[in-house]
Amino acid sequence: MTRFVESTITFPYKRSLGPVVGAFMTALTEKRILGIRSGDSVLVPPMEWDPATGAELAHEFVEVGPAGTVESWTWVPSPSEQHPLDHPFAFALIRLDGATTPLLHAVDAGAPGSVAEGMRVAPRWRGAREGRIDDIICFVPGEAPETEGEDTGGAAEPVTRMDYLASITYRNPVPDAADRATEASKDHRLLGLRCPVCARVYAGGRGYCPIDAIELGPDCEEDLPHTGTITNFAIVTPVQYPGQTETEPFVRAFILLDGTDVIIPYSPVIELPADQVRVGQRVDAVWASPAEETDEAGGMGGNFGSLLGWIPNGEPDHDDPDLVNRIF
Amino acid sequence: MSAHDTTATDIAVIGWAHTPMVRHTDKSETQLLMEAITDAITPLGLTRADIDFTCLGSCDYITGQAFSFVSNLDAIGAWPPKRDSHVEMDGAWALYEAWLRLQEGDIEIAVVTGSGRSSTGDPALIYPMEMDPYFLAPLGADPLTFAALQARAVIASGLADERSMAEVAVRSRGKGDVDTLLAEEFVRQPLRRHDVPPITDGAAAMVLATGDRARQLVERPAYITGFDHRTECHNPSFRALDDSPSTRIAAAAAGLGDSPVEVAELQAAFTHEELLLRSVLGLGEDVAVNPSGGALRANPIMATGLCRVGFAADHIFGGGNRALAHSTSGPCLQQNLICILEGRS
Repeated sequence: MTRFVESTITFPYKRSLGPVVGAFMTALTEKRILGIRSGDSVLVPPMEWDPATGAELAHEFVEVGPAGTVESWTWVPSPSEQHPLDHPFAFALIRLDGATTPLLHAVDAGAPGSVAEGMRVAPRWRGAREGRIDDIICFVPGEAPETEGEDTGGAAEPVTRMDYLASITYRNPVPDAADRATEASKDHRLLGLRCPVCARVYAGGRGYCPIDAIELGPDCEEDLPHTGTITNFAIVTPVQYPGQTETEPFVRAFILLDGTDVIIPYSPVIELPADQVRVGQRVDAVWASPAEETDEAGGMGGNFGSLLGWIPNGEPDHDDPDLVNRIF
Repeated sequence: MSAHDTTATDIAVIGWAHTPMVRHTDKSETQLLMEAITDAITPLGLTRADIDFTCLGSCDYITGQAFSFVSNLDAIGAWPPKRDSHVEMDGAWALYEAWLRLQEGDIEIAVVTGSGRSSTGDPALIYPMEMDPYFLAPLGADPLTFAALQARAVIASGLADERSMAEVAVRSRGKGDVDTLLAEEFVRQPLRRHDVPPITDGAAAMVLATGDRARQLVERPAYITGFDHRTECHNPSFRALDDSPSTRIAAAAAGLGDSPVEVAELQAAFTHEELLLRSVLGLGEDVAVNPSGGALRANPIMATGLCRVGFAADHIFGGGNRALAHSTSGPCLQQNLICILEGRS
């Protein structure tokens, strides 16, 4: 039975708005809706370029709405977590008064029988507005705009940026070879897979030979040595992006295992300050003690499981100028 | 170039294969591709060493892994180093790139793939994030909503009604009864469940060869005689949703009007899209549309379009003369690709 692992990836985007979208978003904080003139048309939402020709548009803004007419609609009986309303609503193409093109937005209409083409709607504004399209919570039937909550007024400065948090949860199958490698690491074994065709050996639970494009099963497994040589390394100065837990410069080294052609990439080093790492340095594998075991992984993460990293073993350096070329 | 010229740059589809199309697979994308490529090349007597160029179509956003196409390379046997490329698009666009590459004339065989595991995430939540980031993504504007708005426009123009849409569903899936289907609830008015594609995991691989090499390898290559793709504005607010000008232009550029096609494989994931595309392409009742069942039967995102080309090629392999394949990308048929395949006696 294949095991699945669930992971959630979030992308906290900060988007520049530019002169046209920025003007639109700034106006939203003032409860005004702007279109942009393109020939005889007024485009809403405003674009920097004519959608038909790609020609750059002059920044000639036209205030539209705030009320408008439903041109088309569909009913959302089961809203998702991303939708503007948590109860059934209509998504509609709304032509705001004075606009040539329709804006997509939600209409809080109660029931599908209450929505119709030609219906008049007006915005329900958020009290505290940031300069986002969802400063308009939704549209409501009628001519009169509403404001929900205390009105905190327009932005003091022009809005130039918009935050957008994308978050996706994935469920991925874990290849059997990866699980076997992780499991072996708990017994402090470094498992390799030897391709029966080309005899190359792969570590880290890679279940294929990428040269011969065949899967490597349990019959291909063999134990790899726990000593090796640093072939190359990088000192990473951490940037504090969301999720980064390192604060000080740290090393990621590439280890060539003794008597093999196997490189263990991107490895942490243990009890070895960054400024003392050398190409040719001899190292031993360091394994997690039972107390350090986590469900997920050791210091190497992923399929190296309980392998925490590599520690100098005191042997003389391996002096080979070609070593530095080995990162794969 | 006219349809029946034989030139040094003849390029043909000579084989293809796809994995089982399932709601949920236990296999990784790499495993799916390994299987599809092996199944495509083996019957031709080819090995991975014979492949001069590969182009893979897949989508990191669906896989949930940055540079996921790098691990997919494990499936193509990329050693010694191969000429390789990737498109973050349906495999039909990978095919387009390979077709361009083969025209340089220095190589003979290319393999293209399309692969996707839609079941990895929830498509209803992922696709809104691919929309316009300022005006659409923050509203969670989802593909069902866009499809419903387009369906309403297509119905208003007289090209479809709920019954003809249900008929498309019954014909494509080879099951169901129109009256029974029309009694179901709307998922997004005017769309019911039968108007909407399934969520499918799967991959496809296709083999292309030039001129004489193609003729050595198979009896009846499916020559690509026209190929074009066009796109429209990203935001459906600025488009006429009851039309598809990009499809029309691509079809004209691909030479659809030169002579009739017997089969058209259209990437119509929603029933009304088939009716709109039939109209825009001017396909008469004598054209067999989506004999494969189309995207309504199996919709392996990133491979759905490449499968359309594959099924059109099957028509040629089986003795047919001319077939059309269509692929699309983006909300409400934003970008459209047309490929014309022909056999020769």
